[in-house]
Amino acid sequence: MTAASRQFRALLLKDLRLELRTRQTAIAMVLFAVVAMMAFQFGFGFRVDDTTPLAGGILWATLALTAVLGVGRSFVPEREQRVLDGLLLAPVSRNLLLVARAASVFVYLVVVEVITVPLVTVFFVQDPAATDFALIAVVCVAANFGISILGSLLAAMAVFSRARELLLPVLFLPALLPVIIASAGATHAVLGVSNDMPEYQGYVLFLLVYAVIFALVAYATYDHVFDD
Amino acid sequence: MTETGPGRSIALWGTLTAVLSTAAIVGAFLVAPEDADQGIIQRIFYFHVAIAITSMVAFAVAFVAGVLYLRKRERRFDEIGVVSIGLGVLFSALTVLTGSIWAKASWGIWWQWSDPRLVTYAIVVLLYVSYFMLRSSVDGERQARYSAIFSVVAFASVPLSFYAVRVAQSFIHPVVFTQSGANMPNTMLVWFVVSQVAMLCLFITLLKLELLQRRVDQALGELKLRLEASRPV
Repeated sequence: MTAASRQFRALLLKDLRLELRTRQTAIAMVLFAVVAMMAFQFGFGFRVDDTTPLAGGILWATLALTAVLGVGRSFVPEREQRVLDGLLLAPVSRNLLLVARAASVFVYLVVVEVITVPLVTVFFVQDPAATDFALIAVVCVAANFGISILGSLLAAMAVFSRARELLLPVLFLPALLPVIIASAGATHAVLGVSNDMPEYQGYVLFLLVYAVIFALVAYATYDHVFDD
Repeated sequence: MTETGPGRSIALWGTLTAVLSTAAIVGAFLVAPEDADQGIIQRIFYFHVAIAITSMVAFAVAFVAGVLYLRKRERRFDEIGVVSIGLGVLFSALTVLTGSIWAKASWGIWWQWSDPRLVTYAIVVLLYVSYFMLRSSVDGERQARYSAIFSVVAFASVPLSFYAVRVAQSFIHPVVFTQSGANMPNTMLVWFVVSQVAMLCLFITLLKLELLQRRVDQALGELKLRLEASRPV
């Protein structure tokens, strides 16, 4: 095992162990996601007979809002208990800090999705098929890469700002709109009766391209976040 | 008389902008042929598209300035970045406004969610307005650094937003520029080019003017500090 992979493992385990002990972030994210879904239902679900065409949009708008909450929350111990100062003094590459943070956000998102996706299909989809879950799982994984990488970069900047809780959603959500569009499109393409596979594949490919572009941007800029 | 240089350069750019803008207005409204299909409302195209392209140029300038700031840490790149993004947001908002007017005249509605370019510009305005929120909540050198990073992030998400919106919606926007060239007669193209150059000149003039104003502000602040320091107690 190389030094980098040992460091990555230690950083990721630090985040996950902290979460297992406090159980603050993941549970709050799940509860928030469920409440957000219900808000969508009360907002416009009653006005349509079949909510299946809306399910993809409801799922991904919910997940995007939940991701903003989770990414912001994941930096709280770093700030309040000065963990970040210790990490920055340690001989660890800054980009490794980004990768480890993105990995822990990715895990939080998977936890939320494991609960949210079945709930959305139960609440909003008529006659869901078993294969739909596998196809949506692929969308989740592809979307999580982009969300967690870009979220970790923007949250690292927001944590040093004055209006941090307010700033992160304002910075993150507009940049996340392409993910919402593509993920909702891919989910919509395979949910319900008809499966539009070429459309689905196009959207999943777009999500991967989004993740690669922001991984490159984050790689090029993350060092500069902690220059002082 | 150190300010004569920038002042003269701005005056030259301003004059060029005024001449070209006048030519563009006269050309677009009086000389260019009327569109057989859309009639007089098509003339908004000469300004709408020119403003849209100029806003993208402004964001590209901010992106380059952001990269240069991160590499060289020179204050002037931060200034170019913030002024360019301010102007880019202004031009993007005008793009949405003129696009909305065109939509009302052509399609009978002020806003069309299935029009990818209009929706993309709305996303772009949101994205770049948040740049100013970031700037106002960070101070000092960190402000310039974070602004530079965000200008890179935002510029990367512009084409992604456009592509995502475009594939998600049916395409009803008139496509004027295709890969095989401009889809319009030469008499129209000439006036479009004049209008485009006029808009770019306007951008350069405003950029230079704002940069000069910032430098003068800074010099004035330093002068005030020196005066206060030298004042007998």
